[in-house]
Amino acid sequence: MRKDRDCQSLSLWQLSPNAMRLSRLLRISRRDSLLTGMSAALLGGVAHARAQDQHSASMQTTDHSEILSQFMAVSRRLTDRDTLDQRIGAALCNGILHGNADRQALIQALYTLLTKENFASASDYARAAETQDKAFKDVIHEIMTGWYRGVADGKVVVYRSALMFDITKDAVYPKTYATGGPFYWTTRPPDVARPVGQPALSPSKFVVEPT
Amino acid sequence: MSSEQNLSADVVIVGSGVAGSSIANELARAGISVIVLEAGPRVDRQHFVENFRNLENKPSYQGPFPAVPWALHPPDQQTPNEYLHTSGPDAEAYQQVYLRMMGGTTWHWAGCAWRYLPSDFELKTRYGQGRDWALKYDDLEPFYYQAEAMMGVCGPDPLVEDLGSPRKQPYPMEALPISYAAQQFRKLITEKTPWRVVHEPQARNTRPYDRRPTCEGHNNCMPICPIGAMYNGSYSVYDAEAAGATFVPNAVVYKIERDSANKRVTAVHYFDPDKGSHRVTGKYFVIAAHCIETAKLLLVSADEQSPDGIANSSGHVGRNMMDHTGVQVTFISGDDAWWPGRGPLETNVIDNFRDGPWRNERGAYLVHMVDDNQVDLATQLAISKGYVGRELEEQIRYLASHTVRLFSHNEGLADPDNRLTLNKTRKDVLGIPHPDVYYKLPDYTVRSCEHTRDVFRQLIGLMHGTDEQWTPGYFPQDHPAGSTIMGVDPKDSVVDGHCRSHDHDNLFIASSSVFSSVGTGNITLTVAALALRVADTLKKELVHA
Repeated sequence: MRKDRDCQSLSLWQLSPNAMRLSRLLRISRRDSLLTGMSAALLGGVAHARAQDQHSASMQTTDHSEILSQFMAVSRRLTDRDTLDQRIGAALCNGILHGNADRQALIQALYTLLTKENFASASDYARAAETQDKAFKDVIHEIMTGWYRGVADGKVVVYRSALMFDITKDAVYPKTYATGGPFYWTTRPPDVARPVGQPALSPSKFVVEPT
Repeated sequence: MSSEQNLSADVVIVGSGVAGSSIANELARAGISVIVLEAGPRVDRQHFVENFRNLENKPSYQGPFPAVPWALHPPDQQTPNEYLHTSGPDAEAYQQVYLRMMGGTTWHWAGCAWRYLPSDFELKTRYGQGRDWALKYDDLEPFYYQAEAMMGVCGPDPLVEDLGSPRKQPYPMEALPISYAAQQFRKLITEKTPWRVVHEPQARNTRPYDRRPTCEGHNNCMPICPIGAMYNGSYSVYDAEAAGATFVPNAVVYKIERDSANKRVTAVHYFDPDKGSHRVTGKYFVIAAHCIETAKLLLVSADEQSPDGIANSSGHVGRNMMDHTGVQVTFISGDDAWWPGRGPLETNVIDNFRDGPWRNERGAYLVHMVDDNQVDLATQLAISKGYVGRELEEQIRYLASHTVRLFSHNEGLADPDNRLTLNKTRKDVLGIPHPDVYYKLPDYTVRSCEHTRDVFRQLIGLMHGTDEQWTPGYFPQDHPAGSTIMGVDPKDSVVDGHCRSHDHDNLFIASSSVFSSVGTGNITLTVAALALRVADTLKKELVHA
């Protein structure tokens, strides 16, 4: 009888055995880097993205801390928040830069726009950005997706710490993390008034997929 | 290559899902030797929980469950698909997903544990449609209860809420208290429509049961319950192993050997992942490998004695493919906040359309108000609308608390032209062909779906809904059935009322593949009840022998 073979992690069966072992280690380090605040995630994360992005020649001459600093400033304005977790920001920035070669220049340009005017709100800023250059819309979507969904470059950077769960924590739990005790769900959750705010950007197509 | 050793047992079972593992458990506890051959690997819950948390596309129920190359399963419901290839006018409506691994597809199910209605077994007699089963509801009733006790099913008191399937005993556990969202849905339906909302019977603990904890409402029954409050086939695997059954993972059965008279099965042959071949002999054989894989195995095993496949003198192996076709709409309610997604995924249904005289024209169905956490969907929607900053956060809260999703399970119908065959060119690493399915939705089902759309439109109006998004066309609900259909006539069916092959005396099939009609509601409890009935038959025959 042959030896039992356990189920491998997501898509890893396509890799060689050594790569599979390595990938497991990488997977753990990705999660732990955020949870334990390893300093490597802060600056090294961007460097890691740079190293992998062979299309972005400009990356070779940019200070890692500078682009991260710009990304954080843009993010704070776009979220209307005074503080954001810099460790998560580093990982999101890493992912966004890795996903598209032109993102560094767009983030830098967004930052330049931010420094030109004193925008009163995220909406004012985003509206001005799209007016200046339609290309800003996609990167703003990516920044919003990163902070609120915890996703960058099609990968989960953070799950439970995504802002979408922070702003709904008085009503629902992130799936797999319920702590309300048996039958908590029978109680009445908070009501939510219909918002009056308007979109800042032009709408994009979105299709609801089947479950 | 061949094996260094041959395996043998009284009963050899192919497949370790709910059907195979529950039969193994029953037989092993009766002192009967059992070997279960599972094509996929052994797996563990926490691995899948971690995969889920790291999955970008959270609604992908297959996502956390990667297949191994020697036991492929469909990666998703996309057409074309890397494994299950569908064709025909409604190819996308049959793009099923399922799992090949120890414990089977109930690793991801919502735990909905419906008994079929008595009329479901007599569709032809009562309504002139489809086919009758070769058994009646009363034949299965004791095994329904046995299955409910095995799984730990909670459900309503029939004196208070009669679900239409007569019971001799109450549910093993009291009904699950429904969420605030479901309470509001029920109130709306009760006050504004002639219909009703009932508790959905579920294989989910409302108190500690069978060493498993009470449900804590993680809202992740699909794709993976993180704490094991919901039953899945792995628990029957553990029980069967404790009782003495042998489970062999990564054992891909590819051949069914018969005696010279072609009347009895003598052995099955399996490949290990390195394509080493092994032979397993027994007195009885049970194929319990899921509707798709069961038919595939019978066809793959074709040889000179049985050129059309095993158990296939009728030519019906692979035919009569059925499913519960789905209609789905998502919209934003204009009423108060319901906040779906607090508690288990599926707890309540409108059951008025499960049966009625109209079944002579259109299929039955049931309606779910899905109690799914909509925060991620709301976030994607709000971002796509162009919101940022404080306005984005307000939108996310509003959409997450007001999004309503309705979907249905619409009854399919046995049609021999809806057929599974073997792909002529695409094969897995072991050289075993992928399955193909031709599918055209029966008009009976289409009419049922149209009726559902009308009902959904009424419900959207009652909830002052806006932004409705209809899932295009028809989509599969992953309840495939019919590929080795049951019947009394060996000329047009594969197994008899005891799930025994008409062609081979010691070959049984335990799967939704034997269903003659597909009714409404999840198929799993009926699969388990049929399997336990097979176990009962085997125990009697082996003891008498």
